[in-house]
Amino acid sequence: MSLFLTNLLLALLWVSLSGNFSPANLLFGYLIGYLALFLSRRAFAPSNYFGVVERLVRFVFFFAWELIVANLRVAYEVLTPRHNMHPRVIALPLQAHTDFEISALAILISLTPGTLSLDVSADKKVLYIHAMFAEDEESVRNDIQNNLEARLLAIWRQPPS
Amino acid sequence: MAQNLSALLILLGALFMFIAALGVARMPDLFTRMHSSTKSATLGVGLIMLGAALHFGEIGMTMRVVAIIVFVFLTAPVAAHMLGRAAYFAGVPLWEGTLSDALRGHYDRRTHRLLSDEKVDETSAGDLAV
Amino acid sequence: MILWLTIGLLIAAVLLCLYRVARGPSLPDRVVGLDLLSSVTVGFIAVYAVVSGEIIYIDVATVLALIAFLGTVAFAYFIEKGGMPWRKT
Repeated sequence: MSLFLTNLLLALLWVSLSGNFSPANLLFGYLIGYLALFLSRRAFAPSNYFGVVERLVRFVFFFAWELIVANLRVAYEVLTPRHNMHPRVIALPLQAHTDFEISALAILISLTPGTLSLDVSADKKVLYIHAMFAEDEESVRNDIQNNLEARLLAIWRQPPS
Repeated sequence: MAQNLSALLILLGALFMFIAALGVARMPDLFTRMHSSTKSATLGVGLIMLGAALHFGEIGMTMRVVAIIVFVFLTAPVAAHMLGRAAYFAGVPLWEGTLSDALRGHYDRRTHRLLSDEKVDETSAGDLAV
Repeated sequence: MILWLTIGLLIAAVLLCLYRVARGPSLPDRVVGLDLLSSVTVGFIAVYAVVSGEIIYIDVATVLALIAFLGTVAFAYFIEKGGMPWRKT
């Protein structure tokens, strides 16, 4: 956390020294600060800041790709005249525990076309989702658990390196 | 260059919105309609907003656009979740092509609690007219 | 030219939403139609801001996006608490 604040401070310093307060320049300053901190990471106590940032960036790209592919799939289903979808309501056992993890997962599931989260059970163990292309129930469940949920939880659960 | 890219983004966004509306008009049941309306519409709004930001190219504009995009991406799933839950509760029928329904019998109709394992007896729990 | 094509697409989207709102068959279906209608309107306002060159319209889009979410949530709450008991949904 303190590394993040240091990084932000470096970005602000870059912006004020270069005298150009635009979002792009702020981002550039943040990147330079990140690089500087990364190169001198042995000087600080072990922290999971670098790992978190790297996995977060990877996850954003992974999710953007999923969003595009799956949106095209739903668009194809809408535009072709015959319905060849196989909807199901599926119970998905959760590995996420805290409220934040569950709501993040539910939002991401809803934004991935083809799946829509309906409700969480009262004891927060099962998430019920409506899946549009679910001929094979088990493969949909595995896909979400191994791809989306595992990657999401790995962002902040992995130990510092 | 930026103008062409912005026009392309706006056109793509409008195309996704059209697909979303077509899906809402065409899909056979409520839940498949919600699939179409939440995702394609969210993506459509995002693309149109990005195109508009690129067209104007000002800081204040970009900030507002980022705020709208973040807000829409956070709230659209929440609205879909609340509406889907309420509709399932109110007994909106599923499409006849739906293969299985894991939610059936898991709602306690009197307390509105959703149970994860044990099934509720539909006949005794369903006496609350919905 | 492209902007007029965009506006045509959005108008078609509005008409399709209105079809769903009029057709139903249940109240949640109509709410889905209205929700999408407000999203399309947000997009429409943004496109109009580009056409007219007035940034101020984006603020209108922001406010509409905020209010549309509240409307959908209120409808969902209403349906879950029993909806219209005098009518079968």
